[in-house]
Amino acid sequence: MKMDILSVKNLKKHFGGVKAVDGCSIAIETGTVVGLIGPNGAGKTTVFNLISGFERGVGEIVFKGIRTDNLSPFKIARCGMVRTFQIPRALTKMTVSENLMLAPKSQAGERIWDVWLRPKRVREQERQIREKSRDILEFFEISHLEDEYAGALSGGQKKLLEMARAMMIDPSMMLLDEPFAGVNPTLARKISRYICELCEGGMTFLVIEHDIPAITKISDRIVVMNEGKVMAEGEPEEIKRRRDVLNVYIGGEG
Amino acid sequence: MIEYVDTLLPYITTILLISSIYAIFSLGLNLEWGFTGLINFGHVAFLAIGAYTTVMFNMSGFPLFLSVIAGIVLSGFFGLLLGIPTLRLREDYLAIVTIGFSEVLRFILLNEQWLTRGPFGIHGFERPLQDVIPYQHYNTFLLIVYLVILAIIYLSLERLVRSPWGRVLKSIREDEAVPSALGKNVFWYRLQSLMIGSAIAGLAGAMLAFYIMYIEPNTFKPIETFHAWIIIILGGTASNKGTIVGALVFYTFLSVTQFTNRFLPFTAHQMGAFRMIVIGLLLMLLMMYKPEGIFGKKEELALSD
Ligand SMILES: Nc1ncnc2c1ncn2[C@@H]1O[C@H](COP(=O)(O)OP(=O)(O)OP(=O)(O)O)[C@@H](O)[C@H]1O
Ligand SMILES: [Mg+2]
Repeated sequence: MKMDILSVKNLKKHFGGVKAVDGCSIAIETGTVVGLIGPNGAGKTTVFNLISGFERGVGEIVFKGIRTDNLSPFKIARCGMVRTFQIPRALTKMTVSENLMLAPKSQAGERIWDVWLRPKRVREQERQIREKSRDILEFFEISHLEDEYAGALSGGQKKLLEMARAMMIDPSMMLLDEPFAGVNPTLARKISRYICELCEGGMTFLVIEHDIPAITKISDRIVVMNEGKVMAEGEPEEIKRRRDVLNVYIGGEG
Repeated sequence: MIEYVDTLLPYITTILLISSIYAIFSLGLNLEWGFTGLINFGHVAFLAIGAYTTVMFNMSGFPLFLSVIAGIVLSGFFGLLLGIPTLRLREDYLAIVTIGFSEVLRFILLNEQWLTRGPFGIHGFERPLQDVIPYQHYNTFLLIVYLVILAIIYLSLERLVRSPWGRVLKSIREDEAVPSALGKNVFWYRLQSLMIGSAIAGLAGAMLAFYIMYIEPNTFKPIETFHAWIIIILGGTASNKGTIVGALVFYTFLSVTQFTNRFLPFTAHQMGAFRMIVIGLLLMLLMMYKPEGIFGKKEELALSD
C-alpha cells in the first residue's frame, strides 16, 4: 500500500459568519491525481490557501510526515509543495522569462555573497535555468512571449504562465487551482497528458476544476466539497453516478 | 575670462560633489523602493548615523578608514533593527516607523549634548589625507574620490539587481505571494535590501561630513529623505542610472536657483519657499508629460494585473 503524502484532518476556517471550510478531511496518496470539485463558494480555494500556508485555520495538516499547519508559505513550499493561484498572479513588470527563472529553488545567485564569490557557478546555473524555462515555454506554446512583460499577456496566457512557473520547480506535490479555466481545449488536453506523465514519474496532484469531463479523465480519485464540507469522495465513475452530487453540482439528466 | 573660469570651476566642483553624495544616498533608497517596493520615509536617519558615527569614532581615536566602516556597519545594523519588527507587517508600517525613527534620532542628536554637542554641531574633525592634499586642491581631490566611489556603488548595484538575488527583490515588489509560494523567504530578502540600502546611506553620511566639515542635527531633516524620493521619481523608479542623473539635475537646480534672488524681489527665506514651489510645479509637469521619469521604462507604466 502507498503512503499518504498529504493528510488534512478536520480543517476549519471561518470568515466572520461565513464557514468557508467547516470540518474538512482529505487524505492523498503519493503519486496520484486527486480532483477537488464543488460549486462556487464551496471552500475549495480556501482549502488550498490553508494547505499552502496562506491562511491560518484550525485543524491538522501533515505533509510528508511534517505538521505544516503552523508553517509559513515559503517553508511549506520548501518542503516540496507548489501551488498555483486561481486568479493568475503574473509579476507584471518582469518579463515572462524572468517570471519562470525566478522559480527554481536554491539558486546560488539568490545568495548575495555567491553573486560575488561564485560568479561562474551563478552564470552556469542561470544558463541551465534559462534552457529549462525555454523548454517549458515551448510546451505551453508561449515561446514567442519570452521577452514580453508578463503584465502585457492576455488572461489565458497569464493562466499558462502561472502554471509554467510552477512547473519550473520539480516539487513532490502540486496544487493546481482551475488549471483549465480560460485555456483553449487542445492545450488543456496537452496539459492533462503532461500532468499524467508527471504523475507516473511520482509527482502528486491536487487539482481544483469545474470542467468535469477533463478532471474525471485525469483523476484517480475525486473529492466533492459543498458548503465547506466534503460531501462525497471516490473514484471518478462512482462520483459521476452519485445522486446527491448530481443534485448539488453536476446537474442531473432528469 | 580667466577670472570667470576661476570662479566657475570651483562652483561646478561643489555641485558635482553634493550631487555625487546625494546620488549615493538616493541609490540606497532606490534599492529599497525601486527594486524591493519598501516604503522608507526615514532614509535620512541612516545618513545621520553614518555621518555621526564616522566623526565620533574618529574623534575618539579610531583611524579614519575604520571609522567610515563603523558608520556603514552601524547604519546597516539600524536598518536591521527597524526591519525586524516591521517587514513582516503591511508595507505602510515600515513607512510610519522609519519616519518616526528619523525624527526621534534627530531629537536625540539635538538633546544628548554630552555625546553630540547638540545644536552646536561638530566641526574641526579630520578629513581623509588632509595633511597631504593642499587645501586649495582639496575639493578637486574629494570629487575624484567621490566619483570613483559612486562608480563602484553604481556598478555593484547594477550587478546585484541583475542577478537572481535582484530577481527575487523585484518579484517581492510585484507581488510577494508569488515568491512565497515558490519557497523564497520574502522577509529575509526585504531585510537584506533595507540593510544594504541603509549601509549605502551611511557611507553617503560619512562622505557628506568630510565635504561640509561640519555636522549638526538639522542637516538631517526629513526633507532630505523626500529630496531622495524626488530624485528617484525624477530619474525613473528602479533605474540606477536615472537616480544618478536625477541627483545631478536636482542639485544643479537647487544650487543655480540660489543665486536667482539677485534678479527676483525675494528675501532668502522667501526664495527657499519659491524654489520648492517651482520644484513642485516641475514635478507635476514631469508627471504629466513624462510620468516614467528620465530613464524609466514607459511601457512598464501601462501594465496591470
Ligand atoms: N478572504 C476572505 N474573506 C471573507 N470571505 C472569504 C474569503 N475567502 C473566501 N471567503 C468566502 O469563503 C467561501 C469559500 O470561498 P472559496 O474561494 O474557497 O470558494 P471556491 O470553492 O474556491 O469557489 P470557486 O469555485 O468560485 O472558486 C465563499 O463564501 C467566500 O465568500
Ligand atoms: Mg476557487
